[in-house]
Amino acid sequence: MPIMRINVGPIHPSTHGVLRLVVDLDGDTVKNVEPHIGFLHRGVEKLLETRMYMQNPSYLEKLDYIAPLSWDELYVSAVERATGIPVKERAQYARMILLEFQRIASHLLWLGTFCNDVGQLLTMFTWCFRDRAAVLKLLEDVSGSRMFYVNMRLGGLDRDLPADFAKRAYDLTEYLEKKISEYKDVVEGDSVFMGRTKGIGVLDRNEAINIGVSGPVLRAAGVSEDVRKSQPYYFYDKVKFKLPIGFKSDSYDRYRVRYEEMFESIRIIRQALDLMPETGDVKGLPIKLIGPNANPDPVQISRELPRGEGMIYMIPDKQRPARISLRSPAFINLAALAAMSKETKFADLFVIMGSLDIVLAEIDR
Amino acid sequence: MKQKGFDYLKKITAVDYTDRIEVLYFLYDTASAKSDIVKVVLNPTDPAVPSVLRLYKSADWYERELAEMFGVKITGRRTKRLLLEKWNGVDAPLRKSFVWGSDYKKSGAD
Repeated sequence: MPIMRINVGPIHPSTHGVLRLVVDLDGDTVKNVEPHIGFLHRGVEKLLETRMYMQNPSYLEKLDYIAPLSWDELYVSAVERATGIPVKERAQYARMILLEFQRIASHLLWLGTFCNDVGQLLTMFTWCFRDRAAVLKLLEDVSGSRMFYVNMRLGGLDRDLPADFAKRAYDLTEYLEKKISEYKDVVEGDSVFMGRTKGIGVLDRNEAINIGVSGPVLRAAGVSEDVRKSQPYYFYDKVKFKLPIGFKSDSYDRYRVRYEEMFESIRIIRQALDLMPETGDVKGLPIKLIGPNANPDPVQISRELPRGEGMIYMIPDKQRPARISLRSPAFINLAALAAMSKETKFADLFVIMGSLDIVLAEIDR
Repeated sequence: MKQKGFDYLKKITAVDYTDRIEVLYFLYDTASAKSDIVKVVLNPTDPAVPSVLRLYKSADWYERELAEMFGVKITGRRTKRLLLEKWNGVDAPLRKSFVWGSDYKKSGAD
């Protein structure tokens, strides 16, 4: 049969944003996929150069609107390293706890939408959003905002934690553990889900490294790589947690890795809550629109975001950063789509894309 | 570098210092968790670097981004298509000579 070229998107419910795919098909078999990105390009890297240091976190949060706190923290850490401002101990634990809650919220949203992509309609979607709302409520009470927190300040957080924070966080982990355990039967007991994810979108281990994917996609390919382990920040070296890895590197393994990661996040939160000093201040410096006394040495800093490894390479300057380069994990995970979806069926293309957990705002920047 | 065990290319980026352009390759070794940076210093008038796509597939989109955002020519690769396709390929928006918002006025969009 002749090769047929089909255009998917840029407005399409399965692409989770504005993404255009040009797909070459032989019958029903995908021969080649070429993603066309850039519909959501806002020139964030250039924009960051025109603003003062602490005006920027708000822009960074809009990169990944599903896990904004992670980018916020990554950027503020880069500025902290450039200026040499230390972070208070209680604030470090508080940041760890909030980041892990953010990771759970992000994975919950992914799981709900992924089950929708696969064709298991609405049960998991509503359950995941219900439990994600409980996490967002806690983050809202800590920061004052439900979606875009802008909660990080140099040296700590924006405001003190609520008085009953430790108890509420602990109760929330118990609630989540109970609810997330219930998901397993619904998801894995479903033959539609299992049939459509097992053996679909296989990415070979060596190829995964060569293509440069990171985060759960890389770990599902059997590579035990996590910034929290390889370059521990805050007190990640003091808490115990495992890195779930996959063996077959298919869409099911990517689901499995993220699912197990939520339990590991709960473990991290509980240990951090136990280790956190009872009293103390978490407040950081107030926002002042003056440049820090930054030395002009470049800053390179990595964090494990929910989607993979995020990195900032910053050249500081007096008033504003001279250059900020962002490594967004979803960007390079999407670049792997073509390699994963060759010789699969057209209907599976969206399962594979869903399993990558992309956010277009972060890809286009 | 690849023979030394650096099997993972994290990122390619560039910095414009107005008198020179530095292209940076962030490399990583997944076995031993070592990382390294390779720096290439270029003349800003007509910058060009050879493609590393044959060694690292992750270079594909980064090189296209580099060509689009910094006007750095990538020699020795087949796909010449820009990444975001919104620029004419003449302006290099992340260069310091490109003033923020100037394209907006140029395009006459109000």
